[in-house]
Amino acid sequence: MSEVLLRARFRLRGARARHLVLAVRVVAGGTIAAFALSTPGFMSSLSINALLNAISLIGCVAIGMTFITLTGNIMSLCLGATVSASALIFLASLSFGVFAAFLIALLFGVAITAVQGFLVGSIRANPILVSIAGLSLLIGGAALITGGQRIYPSGEGLQMFKGRAAGVPVEALYFFATVVIGQIILSYTRIGREMTMVGSNLRAATAAGIGTTSAITYAYVIAGACSAVSGVLLAARYGSGDMELGAGYDYIAIAAVLVGGTSIQGGSGSVLRTLVGVTVIAIIEVVLLLRGFSQQLQYLITGIIVLLVIMLHTIGERR
Amino acid sequence: MQFATKLLIEPNKRPFTIMAAVVIVLALMDQGEGYFFSLGTVFSVMQLFATFGLVALGLGLSMLVREFDLSVAGIVGLAGCIAVITGASSPWLGVLFGVGAGVVSGVIQGLIMTRLHLSSVGVTLGGLLTLQGLTYVLTENKTIGYPNIAVALGLNAPIGGLVSVRSVAALAVFVIAALAMTYTHIGRDIIATGSDRRASRVAGLKTDRVIIGVFAASGASAALAGVLLSYSLGAASPVALADVLPTAAAASIVGGVSVVGGRGSPLGIAAGVLTLCILRSGLSAIGVEPHVHDLVTGAILLAIAVLDAPELLQRVTAWRLDRAERKA
Amino acid sequence: MPILAVDGLTKRFGPNEVLKNVSLSLEAHEIRAICGENGAGKSTLVKITTGVHAADTGAVLVDGTPTEITDPHHAQELGIALVAQELSLAPALSVLDNIWLGNREVPLFHRRRELRDRARAALEKVGLAELPLETPVSRLSIGWRQLVELGRMLTRDARLFILDEPTATLSDVEIERIFAALRALKAEGKSVIYITHRLGEVFQICDSVSVLRNGDLIGTRRTAEIDRAQLMEMMLGRSLREMYPRWESRPGPPMLEVKDLCVPPVMQNFNLTAQRGMVICLAGQVGSGATEVLRALAGLAFDATGEVRIAGQPVQLRSVRRAQRAKMQFISEDRAGEGIFLRLNVGQNLVATRLGDHSRLGILARQALRATATKLAATVGVDRARLRSQADELSGGNQQKVAFGRAIGGDEPGVLLMNEPTRGVDVGARADIYRLIRQFCERGYCLVMASSDIEEVLGMADVIISMYRGQQVAIYQRGQADLHRILADITHPVAA
Repeated sequence: MSEVLLRARFRLRGARARHLVLAVRVVAGGTIAAFALSTPGFMSSLSINALLNAISLIGCVAIGMTFITLTGNIMSLCLGATVSASALIFLASLSFGVFAAFLIALLFGVAITAVQGFLVGSIRANPILVSIAGLSLLIGGAALITGGQRIYPSGEGLQMFKGRAAGVPVEALYFFATVVIGQIILSYTRIGREMTMVGSNLRAATAAGIGTTSAITYAYVIAGACSAVSGVLLAARYGSGDMELGAGYDYIAIAAVLVGGTSIQGGSGSVLRTLVGVTVIAIIEVVLLLRGFSQQLQYLITGIIVLLVIMLHTIGERR
Repeated sequence: MQFATKLLIEPNKRPFTIMAAVVIVLALMDQGEGYFFSLGTVFSVMQLFATFGLVALGLGLSMLVREFDLSVAGIVGLAGCIAVITGASSPWLGVLFGVGAGVVSGVIQGLIMTRLHLSSVGVTLGGLLTLQGLTYVLTENKTIGYPNIAVALGLNAPIGGLVSVRSVAALAVFVIAALAMTYTHIGRDIIATGSDRRASRVAGLKTDRVIIGVFAASGASAALAGVLLSYSLGAASPVALADVLPTAAAASIVGGVSVVGGRGSPLGIAAGVLTLCILRSGLSAIGVEPHVHDLVTGAILLAIAVLDAPELLQRVTAWRLDRAERKA
Repeated sequence: MPILAVDGLTKRFGPNEVLKNVSLSLEAHEIRAICGENGAGKSTLVKITTGVHAADTGAVLVDGTPTEITDPHHAQELGIALVAQELSLAPALSVLDNIWLGNREVPLFHRRRELRDRARAALEKVGLAELPLETPVSRLSIGWRQLVELGRMLTRDARLFILDEPTATLSDVEIERIFAALRALKAEGKSVIYITHRLGEVFQICDSVSVLRNGDLIGTRRTAEIDRAQLMEMMLGRSLREMYPRWESRPGPPMLEVKDLCVPPVMQNFNLTAQRGMVICLAGQVGSGATEVLRALAGLAFDATGEVRIAGQPVQLRSVRRAQRAKMQFISEDRAGEGIFLRLNVGQNLVATRLGDHSRLGILARQALRATATKLAATVGVDRARLRSQADELSGGNQQKVAFGRAIGGDEPGVLLMNEPTRGVDVGARADIYRLIRQFCERGYCLVMASSDIEEVLGMADVIISMYRGQQVAIYQRGQADLHRILADITHPVAA
């Protein structure tokens, strides 16, 4: 009823809170950067390469996850398995030529997630439940087809996706391309804008005539494509694969999304933010390594920092 | 036909229907060979139940209040390690510290969530990573053996061929949970918080306490699972049960817990866990390959996802009406 | 001895003085209405008496004793109970559990006979004697839920009930039940503060009415001693006529034809013809079908059937996009939930329905979108400087203007469907919106409006269709009907 008054009060808080959050983020980012730069050996090519490698593989999946989170569907527990399965498909299809194999792997990843996206978008099936179902089906299906054996490349062409080019690891170039394409889709296309609106308020999006089913399906499609890219890169790096390849990627991916500042509730966030999130996590890991922390402590400190950063981000937001 | 559909669709009855269906199908597949209906199968089902059941109970409780405790996967490992390390001389001490760690982890996360108004996904994700990290630190990335062999054997020794101390303990926890939810106002408060948190708060319920309590219970339950598992394996290792989370979530959901809160019960969760365990043990008893278990579980979950989808009816009706109009 | 009295209450939020020296008192056995436009200070007054806010100056006296009400729990202990518009029942729980939910006295083992009996007794007092205690609240209609909430308050020994817009979402049968419950409470010696916009109800159920306007208490009168027009003048501070713009009906060619529209379960066989330049008002309360008709035309009803034509072309139902392609746009009554993207900025909100017009091969033409947003903002009277602010920073009135802006803006004027267009909007913005509506008419739009506010209907409509329980009761041209006629139609019409 006293909306005018509530708004007046809130207006002050809203703008001021946002400035506060921005300030906190800048300070936090600066601290991390300072730590990194002051670490001996951080700027060496060895560590930069390690950094880029770590960022690229998990980063692709994280970008895919961003689209799912952005449309208000929280997360998917199936992307890691999609990575693995795409890698297997890629390796098995190399006999058709490397471009065809890449395409087939991409289409496969897209198909897996498109079905999930369609169920979530059209009848609003629960996204977490659908992703768990997809996970089970993927694992079972892969075991059925491969009989538990490792898959080896059926043809030539892996070189396209590993090694170095233009002074950086090839993975980084593919990842960079994914970031650029992803952000362009989000900021400059109609479907990208519609995804943000769907995540912001699904009912309002429906009432505004936005195709919510297609927006959500496309978000999942992009997630599948990104996962497939990551799978291909992994397959190229290791030369063979099984379903363990992408295990655990889902958690790090969603951590990167949240650390980057995309809201878990949807409607707010971007691919560039996830890039920041992935970079932050990778930098922390590399810095800890260089400073001589044992692997165990690395895990622990990374976990704590992730928790702290997530807390920092959401303090400015309402629940 | 109506009755059958009701049994399938109504979420309260569904877990038991599914469990019954699984048992019947497996019995049929067994073709009277006696592999399925044997004491050995029941025992292996109950052993699996002992591990996954408690984790599913914890995760399920958090889903009841419309949250999602990702950290259960981490506390299973950590509690196991703590118990093994501290319980060398006295196993009960290990249980105390292990479960205590679970409670503390749950309370801390609950406090962070309620005081800072954060969503559980972010907090429990950070919690999961932190707990996994702590596990690595404690074990120094090695497997730690548990010297008390008597305890390990005792926990797993078959009682009457059907259960073991471990599975009885798990069953006992479920019974306590079920009684508490039904006969005390704790159950009512949990369902209310999950059903409509704002309304419950306005009505005077201290929802913050409910949430912290639920996460403490969730942590304790998963911790107990980890402690018992580590004891019975005679070792605790940092990498334990990688696929705990999806299995526990699947068990809860098959058990009738709604991911958006406000619906579910410990008995239902027990039925869900049993269903998955029966599936796994039963299939391998009959000699079917393990991947079939994943495929069947996936199919069941997909079916539940579709049946429970809020707009299923609307889409189907709209589509049917569109088709009718096109024909006219 | 008055149960509750406030003396010289003042409250400011930042620069706004929300309550200015308000004093009133309430006796036992009294049902007092509190009326006032949005922003008049009603909710702040309620929040002070229920412990949510503290007054800056002045005193609150409970049974004659000055009391400082520290928090809502304290207010309940004093016997002051609030039944807000948003109910506080948990849908998944039974009636019994909901009644005792949040009650500190309840022991750990709560399945006790005594608690059941007390719940049953409370429900009997509010007229729900036959309701089984185990019924899940999710199965109850809103009217019954409100009564359950009243029952809960009784178990907490409430003596003063504050009801905030209790009948806004009720059908007439449910309204009667609430009234019966209130009369029973009054007979027992309890008091009721009844906050409402519905002036008819003030005279039906209340003994007296206090009017707030812009934070001032204008006065308190016994309902037997004033009439509706006087009450309206006290509330608005100006005569009714100044709210609504004058105009001349200039109907154009027929634009919208609706035949045999059925929206299960409420609406059957609705028919309508509307021309360009006209405002058609569907007058009806909740359950009359007016809202359902509009939502069905907008494409939001998945099971609606019927024949709809716009400018002669048939339009299919059940899809918002099909409706939009036929130039039919919808303005929802639920702004925050369905009308506005609170986290996006105003500019993005304004062009939310226009993305298709400004994109080529899927790429957005951002420049053109910004230009359109500026143009739309100017048309509806939203300040250009606001374009980059987040939508949730605007007042309700400005948000409603954004909702309007989003619905126009195509090149060809089409059909505008407005559901409760001024709900939750303060007086100043309401006048602006009425002017906007008439502007759109002159531009050639055809507007169909659903409203339960009869003054609004009378003030704005070229044609009024009164509705009751899914039936069209009567059609009136402008000037043919008066307030009593329409009120009778929408509450209990004589057999058709």
